[in-house]
Amino acid sequence: MKNGYPFSLLRRRCLQALLLSSVSPKLFAALAHQPRVISLFQGATDSLVALGVTPDGIVESWAEKPVYRYLRPYLSGVLQLGLETQPSLEKIALVKPDIIFASRFRHQDVAPLMEKIAPVVLLDDVFEFKKTLQVVAESLSLTARSDRLLAQWSQRIATIRERVSEQFPPSQIPQVSVIEIRPDHIRRYLAHSFPGSVMSELGFGWQDQDVETRNSSLRFSSMENIPLLDADVFFILLRANSPAITRQYHNLQAHPLWQQLKAVKTGQLWEVDSVPWSLSGGILGANQILNDVEHAMTRRSP
Amino acid sequence: MRKGFFLGAALLVILAVLSMMTGPRFYSLSQLFNALFHSDPTRTVDIIIHTSRVPRTVLAMGVGAFLAVAGGLMQALTRNPLASPGLFGVNAGAALFIVFASSFFAISAPGSTLLLAFSGACATGILVWFASKVSNGQLNPLRLVLAGVAITALCNAFTQAILVIDQESLDTMLFWLAGSLARSDGASVYPVLFLGGVLVIVACMFAGQMSVLNAGEDIARGLGQNIARVRLLASIMVVGLAGCAVALAGNIGFIGLIVPHIARQLFGSHLRHTLPACALLGALLLLAADIVARVIILPQEVPVGVMTALMGAPFFILLAQRGGKYAG
Amino acid sequence: MPDSHIFRCGPLMREYSRSVLPIFLLCSVVTLLIIVSALSIGEVVLSVPQTLQLLFQPDDSAQSFILHELRLPRVILALLAGGGLGVAGLIMQTLVRNPLASPDTLGVTTGASVGALLWLSFFSLKYGSSAMPYAAMAGAAVAVSLIFLLSWRSGATPLRLVLTGVGVSALAGAIVTLILVFSPLTTTFSAWIWLSGSVYAASWDKVLQLLGIYLWALPILLVLLRYMKILQLNDSLAIGLGVAIHPRRILLLLACVLLSGGAISLVGAMTFVGLIAPHLARLIIRSGFFSQLLITACCGGCMVIIADLLARTLFLPADLPAGIFVALAGAPLFLWLLIRQRT
Repeated sequence: MKNGYPFSLLRRRCLQALLLSSVSPKLFAALAHQPRVISLFQGATDSLVALGVTPDGIVESWAEKPVYRYLRPYLSGVLQLGLETQPSLEKIALVKPDIIFASRFRHQDVAPLMEKIAPVVLLDDVFEFKKTLQVVAESLSLTARSDRLLAQWSQRIATIRERVSEQFPPSQIPQVSVIEIRPDHIRRYLAHSFPGSVMSELGFGWQDQDVETRNSSLRFSSMENIPLLDADVFFILLRANSPAITRQYHNLQAHPLWQQLKAVKTGQLWEVDSVPWSLSGGILGANQILNDVEHAMTRRSP
Repeated sequence: MRKGFFLGAALLVILAVLSMMTGPRFYSLSQLFNALFHSDPTRTVDIIIHTSRVPRTVLAMGVGAFLAVAGGLMQALTRNPLASPGLFGVNAGAALFIVFASSFFAISAPGSTLLLAFSGACATGILVWFASKVSNGQLNPLRLVLAGVAITALCNAFTQAILVIDQESLDTMLFWLAGSLARSDGASVYPVLFLGGVLVIVACMFAGQMSVLNAGEDIARGLGQNIARVRLLASIMVVGLAGCAVALAGNIGFIGLIVPHIARQLFGSHLRHTLPACALLGALLLLAADIVARVIILPQEVPVGVMTALMGAPFFILLAQRGGKYAG
Repeated sequence: MPDSHIFRCGPLMREYSRSVLPIFLLCSVVTLLIIVSALSIGEVVLSVPQTLQLLFQPDDSAQSFILHELRLPRVILALLAGGGLGVAGLIMQTLVRNPLASPDTLGVTTGASVGALLWLSFFSLKYGSSAMPYAAMAGAAVAVSLIFLLSWRSGATPLRLVLTGVGVSALAGAIVTLILVFSPLTTTFSAWIWLSGSVYAASWDKVLQLLGIYLWALPILLVLLRYMKILQLNDSLAIGLGVAIHPRRILLLLACVLLSGGAISLVGAMTFVGLIAPHLARLIIRSGFFSQLLITACCGGCMVIIADLLARTLFLPADLPAGIFVALAGAPLFLWLLIRQRT
């Protein structure tokens, strides 16, 4: 099946414009020549959509298959290449792309093979979404757009930092806990992770032991570890449509140790969708995080 | 003999107390005493001990005993010192049923996972049993092992296939597959523990018959024993015990393999003594492994299946060094 | 004996019974058919004449690229890896005198898994993944040496080898599970794929690498295969016949490790082939070690090719690891043969 552009190209462009106008109003000037682009990991897909480019082939998402809900409006009808860990090379060859964006960790092995089809851009740490965005933009000569997106980002960060500092006493750096509820355990994201890096930019602090470790998350399987989650602000990552996760969350809330945590007592506890926070790895997802934090900080004006 | 049992029982009590004191926060003996006998529902320590530590200790003892007795029966049944209850495909079948249900039907309530694991274990046990019978209806130990290996591989292949396609489930299932005693829900556990306990007692009473079979087929037949029926009953008990264990705690390895060896070394090779000894030693070993697993990388926790392998494998190698003189 | 052919070539002499030749021919034909179908079927289905034509006259089309750069190395890697694993399994089972032995028993698979996963989790980002096969081979080498060291007491009896092998394998398995549980999610998924066994990233480089490793094992095999029959005998009997069993046994096991370790380090932990292919071969040819060897290589290779074919076509567009389908293809066959054999 050749991947031609479906008839709704114009509609898709308008939708992208609507989204991106909230980020940057001058982004939807069409390019003269559209290179055929393949994205082999979620962060690149996110960055491409942010830059206004529709890829010609993408890989399946980790959850909410085959495409994350927040990206679905812009990626309908895009060719699926299979799992991120083993994308179908035959399909890629048939698409005849001009450039392929891949993750160094996952696709190093097949990079030489893919080089015979098209130039491959390998990206390193998939949670460094700003670098991903810049590299993708450079390869497609869209640096103006990426600069604008990043400037927008810095502005938003500055605004929200102020809101955050309004909420807490000026001498104290508020500590944050990014907690993901999974069906049988609880994961706590640390500073060296995707949501963690955004939190650090926003001026939140971390517990002392977090700063020393190089892990991106800690895994707690027993309710006895609840006191270790303590912080001033909680962001609870939940997955929609998962009864197991809801049940686990209720178990957690009913536990007496939970009631004794700082954030629970002061009510600084915010439930958010876990997909943009932990799985997206791109600037659109990061902007969603900022939306959630902004919403949280403005709801409780002192 | 008696002395050995009493010593073992005393050690078990000590370890149980230690286990209830151990965790991310260590509690002192007096705190434990107060929690157990003068419990106050509002004190945090008491809540933790009652909801988390006591069930976990009981679970560890129970699962350890089930696995060890199942292993002892299995080694007597197949007359092969390398046999373990996993040969019946119990672990693989349970894992497959759970993974299948949670991927395609999103079933994940703790009670249903117990039921699913148990039915998976029984289903594969039955499959292996049928595949291992020869033409005159007799159970051939060698074919049992071969059939068990093939069906285990088949179930593992299906499980792996589902976990590759549904990568989300992999994160959830990994800890279970590694063997874990950290269940957050207590109530549905007790019926299974009860069933397992009953099976252990039945197995100990059955030990006499098993030891006759262990002496050799001809001898047993000469003594008038109905070999097919004894083998069937033994298989049912192995699958039942192993199924209970895997439903409660996932895939825990070495206990069923090693404990019967230790029991034989310490208590002689007569099954009437070895099986109860297996139960005692299995409970001890798993409890010890769980205590270590909880403290070694605080605040995180090592899956107990990994711990038993790390502790059991060197021991097994030591046994192997002694030259391979085994009963049967 | 009118029923046997004797082939002479200098000092080497082999005797074959007449009934074996047709079986060889049948096996080769079946293997070729399977190879050609695997080359034709996939995302793009080529007809057989088209496949054969593109095979010998490559051009610039996407189909030719797919055939020559993607499918051909993949099928050949599958054939070589399956064949090597099967042969290693056959030698293991004969030496250890246990039908359940496989390269696993020597700790090769689990040792290689530890090596590969350690590399994947800690070094892969910094130093690249082209060195992962070497890490896997190193892991396998460490595991096997450990087993030999621990079970050596003026010679290694098969039983002690197996027992020590089980112990070391379990230890390595525990380390693998530990790495899986505590690594970040992204690593876990890639590690899971490696542990399933996959010929996905096959390239001509890898094929050549595997052939290179096999070439080290080939001389050992050629020289020592004639002793297989004697090594199957009781130890005291063989020594009585004046054959030095221990060095020969060690060398043959070394060849096993090279064959299976090489295959696993390039293809991932495909465990079932080494166990089942020898059984299948033994059901086709009952006696004659050398003939069984060839048939095992064919069986093993075909199993992996068919498994890979199923893996990349059944769930389009997803390209699943072939190792999963090896058991799905081999285990029912094995069970059916087991049940059929009601003796």
